[in-house]
Formats: sequence, C-alpha cells, structure tokens
Amino acid sequence: MEDRELSQQESLLLIEQMIQAAKKEQKDDGTSWIVWGWMLFLASILTIANVHFGWYNTFFFWNLFGVASLIIFLYQASRFLFLKRPQKVRTYTNDLFGRLNAGFFISLILIIVGMNIGVPVTKGFPLLISLYAFWILIYGSALNFRPSIIGAYITWGFAIAAMFVKTFELVMVMHALGVLFGYIIPGHIAHKEFKELHRKEKRAQLV
Amino acid sequence: MFKELDPILHSQLRLAVMSLLISVKEAEFTFLKEKTNATAGNLSVQIQKLKDAGYIDVVKQFKDNYPQTTCKITQKGVEAFELYVKALREYINK
Repeated sequence: MEDRELSQQESLLLIEQMIQAAKKEQKDDGTSWIVWGWMLFLASILTIANVHFGWYNTFFFWNLFGVASLIIFLYQASRFLFLKRPQKVRTYTNDLFGRLNAGFFISLILIIVGMNIGVPVTKGFPLLISLYAFWILIYGSALNFRPSIIGAYITWGFAIAAMFVKTFELVMVMHALGVLFGYIIPGHIAHKEFKELHRKEKRAQLV
Repeated sequence: MFKELDPILHSQLRLAVMSLLISVKEAEFTFLKEKTNATAGNLSVQIQKLKDAGYIDVVKQFKDNYPQTTCKITQKGVEAFELYVKALREYINK
C-alpha cells in the first residue's frame, strides 16, 4: 500500500475493507465449542448407558471428563506460559470473553462443588445447562452469531425441562440435547464459516 | 458548504491504519503491516504522522527480548475519524 491521496469513493471502500479485515480477527473457528461440546455430550450419553447397564459407579464418566478437562487445562496453561505467542492484536471482544470465561468457570465450579456437598444432581445439572445457555447467548450476541443465539434459547429450554424431569437419566438426556444444540451444532457451523472465510481470503490473494 | 477532508486522514495508508485501529482495542506494528501490505519504513513514517497529530498512541517496548510496537487509537483520533467519514458521506451524497 502506498501513501497516496484517494477519491471519496476509494476512501469509503478502503475503510470498509480494513474494518472487515479487523473483524476477521474476531472470527472464532468454533474448535472450543466442538471439543467441549463432544466431550460433554459423550459424558452424558455414556452416563446414561452406565446407569442403565450398571458398568461402574454412576459418576464414573463425569470423573473421567473431569480428568480430561484438567489435562486440557494444564496443556493450555503450559502453552500460554511457555510458548508465549505474541498477541498481534487485542480486540474488545476478546478482552470481554477473557473476563466472562473467568466468571463462567467460577460459577461452574461453584455448582459442581454444590453438587458434591448436598445439592441434588437432578437440580445441579439443570443449573449447569442454564449456565451454558447464558454463556452461549453472550458469545452469540457479542459476535452477532445467530446459530449460538438460537442455540442458547434452545439450551435454556432443555435446562427448564431438566429441572422438572423425574430421573437422573432423563436429566442426562436433557444435558446431552442442550450441549448438542448449544455447543456442537453452532460450533460446527462456526467452523464451516471460518474455513469458508479463509478459502475466500486465499482466492482473493491469488487474484 | 462541504467540510474539508482532514489531510492527515485523507491518505491511503494512514486511513487504512486508522480504520484498522478503530475496530480493535490495540494492535501491533506487525499486524498493521500484514493487513495493509505496506513496507515497514513507509508504515513507520505514517504511524509517526498519526502520532504527531494525536490520533494514535504508540508504545514501544521489549517483550521476550524482541522489540514490540503497539498502536492504539486515541479519543481525538476517534472523533477525527468520525468527522472524516461524515464529511466523506456529504461529498458522495452531494
């Protein structure tokens, strides 16, 4: 790019192009939603099978999920601490997500601790589903990503249903469905859109 | 009567830098270079002009033994950018 004067139309076009270029930095590839979504989904489904067939103790697969989460957390923390990839750009959205992530995990831990000290799991899991929905809605609204906004309301629907079902297996079914509509489907849509955007970018560079 | 276009902003590279910075909280020099496809020398000169006008803040520091230049738009820069866009629209709609 040179340092030359522009016509009014060229100026507006340039502003639009640069704002779009900056926006691409905020585009999420959906990987986190896919990874966490499938992990939560599998934990729910395997717990239903476990309760039904009586393989191990009821929360075996949730404990396994906890261990897997800890490994992922330690892996991400070590990457952050030791690789120190320089952050080329800071966006308001990323900063907001950083703070909201902290709030989400504090609330999540609080509910999990609650379930371990007396809150019935049939009431604790609906609260967890509701918390997922809250985070999904904020994410979808901040990025103006419609599948997540819709997914959040569907997830809330399953949270309400889970609050009133009678058995733990049905709570797990609601949990699996909530995660499917709130995490997995929007995550895969985001991933597809992200890949499409990069393909378009590459095509534009070749032209 | 049309407003005169701000000469600081009415240049391709400076306008590109301002348009990028208005969309983010702060950005590194390398990010601006990558998005504008400008040479490092030219970009440095234009960034200095924007800084002298008070439109952006520039922080130079060392991070992990590497020099790092971070740019951030100022309130004055935001106002100038908004006025510039408004003036552009007036010209186009005349």
